[in-house]
Amino acid sequence: MNDSMSIPHLIMNASLVVQLVMLLLLAASVASWVVIFQRSFALSRARKAQKAFDERFWSGVDLNELYRDVPDNYEAQGSEHVFRAGFREFNRLMPKTRSSEAVLDGVQRSQRVALSREEDSLNDKLTLLATVASASPYIGLFGTVWGIMGSFQSLSMAQQATLSTVAPWIAEALVATAMGLFAAIPAVIFYNRLSSIASRLLGEYEDFAEEFHSILHRNLQGRGGNPAA
Amino acid sequence: MAKRNRRVGYGLPVVLAIAVHVVALLLTMLRLPDSEPTPSSSSVVQATLVSDVTATDQAQYAQEARARAAQRQAEEAAQQAAEQQAQEAARQAAEQQAQEQAQQQAAQRQAAAEQAQAESARRQQAAEQAAAERAEAEEQQKAAEAARQAEREKQQAEAEAEKQRQVEQAKKQAEAEAEKKRQAEEAKKQAEAEAEKKRQAEEAKKKAAAEAEKKRQAEEAKKKAAAEAEKKRQAEEAKKKAAAEAAAKEAAAKALSDSIANEKERIANAQQSDQASNSFINLVKRAVEDRWHLPANVDNGLVAQVRVRLGPSGELLAASITRSSGNPSFDRSATQAVEAAAPFRELQQLDAGLQRRFRDFNLKFTPGDIQ
Repeated sequence: MNDSMSIPHLIMNASLVVQLVMLLLLAASVASWVVIFQRSFALSRARKAQKAFDERFWSGVDLNELYRDVPDNYEAQGSEHVFRAGFREFNRLMPKTRSSEAVLDGVQRSQRVALSREEDSLNDKLTLLATVASASPYIGLFGTVWGIMGSFQSLSMAQQATLSTVAPWIAEALVATAMGLFAAIPAVIFYNRLSSIASRLLGEYEDFAEEFHSILHRNLQGRGGNPAA
Repeated sequence: MAKRNRRVGYGLPVVLAIAVHVVALLLTMLRLPDSEPTPSSSSVVQATLVSDVTATDQAQYAQEARARAAQRQAEEAAQQAAEQQAQEAARQAAEQQAQEQAQQQAAQRQAAAEQAQAESARRQQAAEQAAAERAEAEEQQKAAEAARQAEREKQQAEAEAEKQRQVEQAKKQAEAEAEKKRQAEEAKKQAEAEAEKKRQAEEAKKKAAAEAEKKRQAEEAKKKAAAEAEKKRQAEEAKKKAAAEAAAKEAAAKALSDSIANEKERIANAQQSDQASNSFINLVKRAVEDRWHLPANVDNGLVAQVRVRLGPSGELLAASITRSSGNPSFDRSATQAVEAAAPFRELQQLDAGLQRRFRDFNLKFTPGDIQ
């Protein structure tokens, strides 16, 4: 009784469909946990990098130095990525056109692209978490319903329907629901947490993009006034 | 995306995720054996029948009866002892009396002997002139011996000796007087006649005295005989009393053993009837349990006792709470269960004595583990 009702024993005795459902749920659970850990590390790194770049940018360093003082194959991220995209576009457009509006438009466009890519990378894989969180209870429920259907089908052939004949089947079937919930609950929790961190980081990037844009605008006004004068 | 992958690899997260699942699986496997042995008793309620007179009560009664009998016996023994003491005291007193009487008698006897001795001495002195001294001395010795014998032995022998002595003395006196007569015959015939008259009178007197003495002795003998008879009677009475006491003791012991045997029999009967009535108890218990609807939120420690009184055919006369559990709804549920389970028609199938026992009993209600 004690041995036959243990969870591994129940899983081994379940029908094939229920076993497949359980396997799928196990995979979903493992994947969601992989995403949880990976995103947690990535987002914590992004926050650290954001903090470091903010300090460097507002320390009064020259923007050209900031742009040049970087290794060649350096892959910037976050605010730095936005800054580098905008400043590269600015440097490229400056010799070609005298219109400051055209320059600012080009810079803004390139910043928007960079922001979009950052947003994409921040929310990367979070959709998987959302999918696991919303779908795995249903998958588990499907396994349970399938198992109970099987148990009632075999019960119709039994002479006596006592609780002890029905109980193992139902317990077996309910394991699927339990596994679905086991996968879904951490996914929901971490999806909410990680997505809130990502949206806050994205908001910081957007703020930086606006500030950088205003700095460039100020510089163009000063330089554009000289030619005009 | 490529840069992101390079920066934060998937190796560590995969390892961590698998570790999480292994830990979770281990937890379920470890926790199950611990959580499994939680007791899952299927008994919903337990009703315990407590009849008013149980076998243990009967044993108590028997013990009490035995104690009572022992007390009674002790009292009787004390009484008997007191009686015995009183009887003994009476006997002792009687013995003392008898002894005293005997002593008195002996003293009287001694006194009589002394008197006789004195008399004989006087007579000897009087007859000295006339009779031979040797004969008198012999007589004296004889008399002394007789007196001693009389002291030691019974009065009759003494009386005989005395009679003999008296007869002898009378003879001697007669001889002496005959001599005097002869002397007086020589002196005066008138005086002789007078002397003769006197002598005759004296003789008559002496005879009377002797007769009186005899009478006295006879009376003493009688008294002694009476005293002996009295003693005998007392002894017989004492014997009788002792016999009566023994009989009383025996009777008491017999009564005690009888009463103990009766108690034992009663206890045995009670046990038998208990066994026989077990089925009825179980029937009542099951019927009440089946109809007992336990109110919600009831502690397991509650105990209520309901007194159930049944009519001759098993119908319920009254069901009242004798010991409340402190929870009114629990008490009400208990009485309602009894009311719902009544009537108990099985009562009619029991013996008459058992029926009387089960017309009035107590039911104890204790909620079991409700799963």
